[in-house]
Amino acid sequence: MDVLPQLAHGFGAALSPTNLLMAVVGSLLGTLVGVLPGLGPTAAIAILFPLTTVLPPVPAIIMLAAIYYGAMYGGSTTAILLNIPGEVASVPTCLDGYPMARQGRGGVALGISAIGSFFAGMLGVTALTFFAPFLADQALRFGPPEYFGLMVLAFTVVASLSSASLVKGFAMAALGYFLSLIGLGPSTAEPRFTFGWTPLMSGVELIALVVGLFALSEVFLGLEQSRVAIAEKITNVFPRWADLKEAFPAILRGTGIGFFLGLLPGCAPGVTVFMAYDAERRIAKHPERFGRGAIEGVASPESANNATSSAGFIPLLALGIPASAPLAVLLGGLLVYGLQPGPLLFQKNPDFVWTVIASLYIGNIVLLILNLPLIGMWVWLTRIPYGILGPLILLLSVLGAYSVRNSMFDVAVSLVFGAIGYFLRKYQWPLAPLLLAFILGPLLEKYMIQSLSMSGGSPLIFFQRWLSLVLIVGAALLFLASLVLVRYTGRRVKEETAEELAL
Amino acid sequence: MVGGGLIVLGSLSLGEGWRLYGLRTQMVAGAVVGDDTFPLIVGASMVALGVLAAFVTAPATLRVVFPYGEPRGRMLVTGALLVVYWLVLPYAGYTASTALVSIGLFGAMGGYRWPISVLLGAATTGLLYLMFRVWLVEPLPTGWLGF
Repeated sequence: MDVLPQLAHGFGAALSPTNLLMAVVGSLLGTLVGVLPGLGPTAAIAILFPLTTVLPPVPAIIMLAAIYYGAMYGGSTTAILLNIPGEVASVPTCLDGYPMARQGRGGVALGISAIGSFFAGMLGVTALTFFAPFLADQALRFGPPEYFGLMVLAFTVVASLSSASLVKGFAMAALGYFLSLIGLGPSTAEPRFTFGWTPLMSGVELIALVVGLFALSEVFLGLEQSRVAIAEKITNVFPRWADLKEAFPAILRGTGIGFFLGLLPGCAPGVTVFMAYDAERRIAKHPERFGRGAIEGVASPESANNATSSAGFIPLLALGIPASAPLAVLLGGLLVYGLQPGPLLFQKNPDFVWTVIASLYIGNIVLLILNLPLIGMWVWLTRIPYGILGPLILLLSVLGAYSVRNSMFDVAVSLVFGAIGYFLRKYQWPLAPLLLAFILGPLLEKYMIQSLSMSGGSPLIFFQRWLSLVLIVGAALLFLASLVLVRYTGRRVKEETAEELAL
Repeated sequence: MVGGGLIVLGSLSLGEGWRLYGLRTQMVAGAVVGDDTFPLIVGASMVALGVLAAFVTAPATLRVVFPYGEPRGRMLVTGALLVVYWLVLPYAGYTASTALVSIGLFGAMGGYRWPISVLLGAATTGLLYLMFRVWLVEPLPTGWLGF
């Protein structure tokens, strides 16, 4: 596959006024929601996902990807200025970013975070450009048993998404699979779990589920905590030459750690940021500076976060495996548009894939250009009272859930899952495995049924074909590796925040 | 409690799988797998995980504190307003129901006085109308009032 001509073609489409506008609007909206205290990338995508459903697939996915990047950047802003991490991946940024802000160097921390994120993001997208098509080419040999193996490999992500307890993670995944079964059966179109009730025939709508679990429950948690946003005035976001010189090696190291670990399907940004932060502290000449406003303590995890997130697009686009909760929502977005991520995506929809890849380059540049000068505005936005933001987010979410199918049933689904999500989060039952299983459930079922039909019902087919066997053994090894990484991250999060947080 | 819920849902899945198995053997002669296979696997897994969560794993040491006093009141009113919104939206239409519910939400969540809540509610209704009706061209419910 000729990568560069395809990429050039992608740039041609991504730079069209509509697609460019979507990248800019998505970056702005993502950052806008990301800077709201306590709202991370998953909640940002959940809230804004319905708005993209009226667009054609290409601009919609460009916008969703830009929302994702923007929300990640916005999350760093609240971590640095308010000491509020939107997600676990922002916890290490708080450790040194917030002390820097208290020393009056919040602007520099934000600037370094933006530069590090840009550098890591660009490197990640470059690797995506060259590596994903190669991976997709290899995966073209896949038949149903191999695809089933791939789905099992994707399932290992559950381990890294269930930080508090593996049983809780798997239980949530089982619940997600259960919900995905509702509707018409794939083989005979016989209704399943509908109990004769027509609205259930078309199943649980993904967007209604995402809005309920991640957006509505988030607002209720925010309401309970009476979130108040207070921020200092930011004067200068452009780091001095000395700051850059000090931070650049950390940016490189953070990018390397984040990128290479991010290639593993079970490695979420929440894992790599702590590894990058700890590595930086270990090699520092004066480790005692960490936790007191060391610029490397911001540069390294922020770069690792973006590098992992960008690297996560490789297994997502090439194999259809999401490495984190926001990427699982993005996967859902692709499926909503009838696009099946995986090797065939590069074959069947090359225009789409290359336009989206080109837009990721553009999104990174747009974010850097917009965010450094606009940082004052984002800081101002963090001061908007929750009493104004909360109702806005709730109404936006409810109308968004309605607008996908113009269905009040979907609104009811989102409200019910909002309540369920609130209680599950209070008791620290991780929601991301539920979402992942809900999205992957129908695919896993399809490939399993196809494979078993081929073998006359014998499950040995998954072990008799070498590619399928490699994938299943790989899944087992990755699962074990994920367990080790998750234990390490869980311990570190507990040390730093005295809490157990979902990755 | 969640463990118990998983056992119930798992049993439901097993029951549905069994029903579908009966249908498959009648409808599709010779098929070794079908729409029943996955519900049976998921059901068995859920029952097993439910048993693990309820009886085998160590009891949770996690102490969950639910809000009380004013925050709890705010949350309950907010939840109730969302349910009311779901109930009245198809009948009262987008404009009237969104205006009323948003005024209530600003009052409940932000603690604003009525004049401020009315102002914020009107602005929110207009903003969301612009976004969904004008920009996204979504057919929002019009209800009895026709708008």
